[in-house]
Amino acid sequence: MMIKRAFIFLVLAQVASMVSPRVVLASDEEGGFDALHHSANAYYLDFAPFGKMELPRIFVVQREDGSYGLELFRSTTSAIRTGHFTVELVKDTHEEAAEDLLGESIGQGESAPVHQEQVVHAEAEGDGHAADSGKLTLAELEGHLLAPNGGHIVLDLSISRHLFFAWIAMGIVLFLMTRLAGMYKRGIGRSTAPRGLFQNLFETIILFVRDEIARPNLGDKANKYLPYLLTAFFFILTSNLLGLVPFGATATSNLMVTVVLATFTFILTQLGGTKDYWMHIFWPPGIPTFVKPILMPVELLGIFTKPIALAIRLFANMTAGHLVILSLIGLIFSFASLFGSGAGFGVAPVSVAFALFVYMLELLVSLIQAYVFTMLSALFISMAIQEHHHDHDEAHHGDEHVSAHTEAISA
Amino acid sequence: MIVLAADLLAPDAGLIFWIAITFGLLLFVLSKFAWKPITSALSERETTIHKSLAQAEKALAEAKQLQADNTKARRDAEAQAQAIIRESREEAERVRTEEVDKTRSQIKQLQDQAQAEIAREKDSALNSLRQEVADLAIRAAEKILRENLDADRQKKIVDNFLGDLTKN
Repeated sequence: MMIKRAFIFLVLAQVASMVSPRVVLASDEEGGFDALHHSANAYYLDFAPFGKMELPRIFVVQREDGSYGLELFRSTTSAIRTGHFTVELVKDTHEEAAEDLLGESIGQGESAPVHQEQVVHAEAEGDGHAADSGKLTLAELEGHLLAPNGGHIVLDLSISRHLFFAWIAMGIVLFLMTRLAGMYKRGIGRSTAPRGLFQNLFETIILFVRDEIARPNLGDKANKYLPYLLTAFFFILTSNLLGLVPFGATATSNLMVTVVLATFTFILTQLGGTKDYWMHIFWPPGIPTFVKPILMPVELLGIFTKPIALAIRLFANMTAGHLVILSLIGLIFSFASLFGSGAGFGVAPVSVAFALFVYMLELLVSLIQAYVFTMLSALFISMAIQEHHHDHDEAHHGDEHVSAHTEAISA
Repeated sequence: MIVLAADLLAPDAGLIFWIAITFGLLLFVLSKFAWKPITSALSERETTIHKSLAQAEKALAEAKQLQADNTKARRDAEAQAQAIIRESREEAERVRTEEVDKTRSQIKQLQDQAQAEIAREKDSALNSLRQEVADLAIRAAEKILRENLDADRQKKIVDNFLGDLTKN
């Protein structure tokens, strides 16, 4: 209990130390907000309107003399304050893009971005001072750091917001599942019926993954791939849901995260590939020989398109929901700046109602995408581990069925 | 362009590195410490349930068989009892009929005997009567002859004789 309290106190202290009036001001100065900005990755946690909490920065750098080194900092601020790193201010390209899109129709609204631009320039000029004193602006926080004196950053291993939330998701899954395993180890659910909401709920989900995803696709090899499918399902589901929590972020709305997940499926698929699987790719049976060289690259490409589709589907679904919600909320500000604040107030109830609807939809999508990713992973693995005992006509028919199924799900 | 501008698609080697390592670690740890005990417990429970169900089914079948056997045995016993009762009834009837027949034939026999006796008695009585009559006739004739009487007397004697006859 004491430890828990101490931990909470430490976290609060950290948050308090990170909260800066300047940053709060800066976000106010933005004037409205940018939906993409909220979905994108960054090196701080956004607790707006209470402030921000910077995350540790870790760099693998190559110094000017060619030697490699690892540099650790508590935050971006401290990284810059040491003087080892300077911030490269990319003048808000997305700000420009937004201006391009809106065109001249903005009218009065232009004054805000112009004002902000000036602020950014001012900060850029007083760069050294900003590093020495106080906190960084949003632009600095988002800027790319440069290693000094001709050295360069080889690998930026910094803890980003999406990584932080991916770890939180992993922690939650780990905590819940080891607790659940503990119950089974104690015999509850092993020799008796499962007890309580917690065990019943998660047992239902686990059984769903086993009986509806793993077994129909993988048959008697289901047990071999079940741990991966369960881990992927629960990690994706938890990550998706964390994005719907206040101040949360969706790790799965980051393409890098989904690419790694898809790579795991890809590796498992290739490792499980039977002779028949490779045969189908490099020397497809049942077709004229002169067609085979044409088909081979297509099949080879197919190996990679499957996991890529897997990664992009999850990423796009999770990003899209947030963008729609933020756009609906943004509609209020757009109306306010275009037709006056009265229009903004008028649109607000509609926007909020629609945003609520999309939020509910996102809850559904979180579940569906976790299911779809796991389902398709199982499907791809099953296609690789299958041993075709039947003639090719049937096999082809089966493939068609599978691809139709895939399309139905991705649609 | 917007998407690129907001770094949504920017490659991030550090993130890939961390996620790959930590997800791999999560997969390993969960497989070992969560999924293995959970799935083994679940399949163990399922086997137990399946086994129990099969056992219950078997027990039920056995009980049903036993009940059927019992019912069959009871039916058999009842049928047997009925048969015994019927048989004994028939036997009793048969014995009674036999007895009646026997009695009847005995009675008949006795009757026959009696009738035969009566007939014989009658015959012997008739015979003795005939002898008596003959004797009487002879004696009467003797008297007639002996007394040598007139016609009136003769007539009187005969009448007396006949009167005696009717008396006898």
